Amino acid sequence: MRDSLILGYGNVDRMDDGVAWHVLIALAAARGVAGVIAPDDFLEFPDGQTDCQFVLQLTPELAERLAGYRRVCFVDAHTGNLPEAIRLERVTPAYTNSPFTHHLTPATCLALAQALYGHAPRAVVASVRGEAFGFAQELSPGVAARVPEMTAKILAWLAVAVPAVG
Amino acid sequence: MQKITIDPVTRIEGHAKVTIRLNDAGQVEHAYLHINEFRGFEKFCEGRPYIEMPQITPRICGICPVSHHLAAAKASDDLANCPPPRPASLLRELMHMGQIIQSHGMHFFELAGPDLLLGFDADPATRNVLGLLQRDPSLALKAINLRKFGQCIIETLGGRRIHPTFAVTGGVNKVLRPAEREAMLSGVAQAIAAVQTGLGIMRAWAERNRWDIDHFAVFPTGYLAMVTPDNGLALYDGQLRLIGAHGQDLERFDGSAYLDYISEHVENWSYLKFPYYKKLGWPGGVYRVGPLGRLNVASHADTPLADAELRAFKALSAGHPVENTLHYHYARLIEILFAIERVQVLLDDPDILSSDILNTRQSLTVGDDGLAQGVGLLEAPRGTLIHHYWATEDGKLARVNLIVATGHNNWAMSEAVDSVAKTYITGPEIREGLLNRVEAAVRAYDPCLSCSTHALGQMPIMIEVLNPAGQVVQSLRRDGGG
Repeated sequence: MRDSLILGYGNVDRMDDGVAWHVLIALAAARGVAGVIAPDDFLEFPDGQTDCQFVLQLTPELAERLAGYRRVCFVDAHTGNLPEAIRLERVTPAYTNSPFTHHLTPATCLALAQALYGHAPRAVVASVRGEAFGFAQELSPGVAARVPEMTAKILAWLAVAVPAVG
Repeated sequence: MQKITIDPVTRIEGHAKVTIRLNDAGQVEHAYLHINEFRGFEKFCEGRPYIEMPQITPRICGICPVSHHLAAAKASDDLANCPPPRPASLLRELMHMGQIIQSHGMHFFELAGPDLLLGFDADPATRNVLGLLQRDPSLALKAINLRKFGQCIIETLGGRRIHPTFAVTGGVNKVLRPAEREAMLSGVAQAIAAVQTGLGIMRAWAERNRWDIDHFAVFPTGYLAMVTPDNGLALYDGQLRLIGAHGQDLERFDGSAYLDYISEHVENWSYLKFPYYKKLGWPGGVYRVGPLGRLNVASHADTPLADAELRAFKALSAGHPVENTLHYHYARLIEILFAIERVQVLLDDPDILSSDILNTRQSLTVGDDGLAQGVGLLEAPRGTLIHHYWATEDGKLARVNLIVATGHNNWAMSEAVDSVAKTYITGPEIREGLLNRVEAAVRAYDPCLSCSTHALGQMPIMIEVLNPAGQVVQSLRRDGGG
């Protein structure tokens, strides 16, 4: 079982909805991974225990991958009724509703991992409040300015000892 | 008069809201589905080279990017007078079947399955995919593996999970290797078994829930779908056939002529227009698309297992179109079966491994208006998808028109909400099961309400009951969570 997975998701072509991709690029740079990261890349950081992946949306088959880690950090944008500029909060396995859409929530993915593969990693959701969602890969200025802070929070989370399984 | 609002309003775009108006006796006067459609994408495309459209348009939707990718490629083929070689068309159809399998599979098992297996009125805490999993873990694994089968086809061909660059004007840019073909073939039997399990579930559920099926949003409409030359089920290529409410032939036409047959009506309570058949006018010309529409329009399927299921499906209404909204789910399963069988057929075709995959001779034919035109259609999981481009002589797009399945079904979804509300709401008190039924009426059409973005904290569902003075007397809320 590997230690840590940073799993970003969103639409990189819809400005702040793809903020996770920008955070992952910053994380990779901080961990010494050079070059451009394509949204599809699955990266292993040089520490040998941390992996990084970006997906368009969370889907059921990700449960199998999640079950192979001790801990996972989901990275996303947030809007709606969540007022904070940056959030990092614990998420536990549970079903959460998405009545019309084809994507799952982090909690539901964790619950599927637990139920189907016998293990759900400890997990947090790191999210940045989005401000603009037009058709472009650039972030809005406000969200771009929050990427370093979000990156630092995730690096701090990674620096904490990996939990034991079970 | 009282008003109930079901309002997943905080999506960034494409959000929907249900309003149910009650009279003083607590009975439903009328219910509406409002969809706030985002049309900015078409403007965004103007000025871009048409050859970029297969790569740009998948950005519209995070749920069915492959459908837009392929429809855009077909439209750019048409615009550039550049038909793809046969092997390229086979490979594109193969990718499309992967999309149908993964999308329909996800919908049936994740979104519809809990209602069907656990019941509309089951405890919402367990009426979900996890509740299903607890009841039948092996079914959940089958469902996930079915989706994975479709997704692997897309990834093998597309090379990338996000924004595939596979289809290009005039063909595709990657051949299928023999080992990749064998890997796909090895999954066919298991995928068919998974769908047949689903069909068994559907039939058993239908047997137990006849009353719901016969009272849940059953109404007449026309039906529009693509067909083969002899009216067989077609998902990737063919003419469009439009039938009337009694199953009678109304039209058969090339998709490129859609503007001659389809017009759009505007209502002041919805941002999304309502397409209808021009000759019958509004609202007599409304029609449905998607799985129910396709199976009503097709006379048969050209693969044996799907054909047998299609005949059983048609027997439900003895030659009359199947009008029951809940049978969208049954139709969806039959289409998965068809798509898997098509995967087998396509992979068995000797041309599938050919390297003749690209026609590079592009030439635009400019009309009197100085513009060249191209139209690309296919049957996306949710229904007929139309891409129509106009380009200047130098290949820059001057205008783009997209008609998506959710648009075609706009009237039907609203009618379904109205019908379900009138059938099930008999007083001002709203049970959770009611909310779920109203949701289920929309869910049956598998609408793409939220294209592309999904940031946390969005998609709450709110029901508000307002008294005649406009005060909220009852509300129910369901959050999307995160």
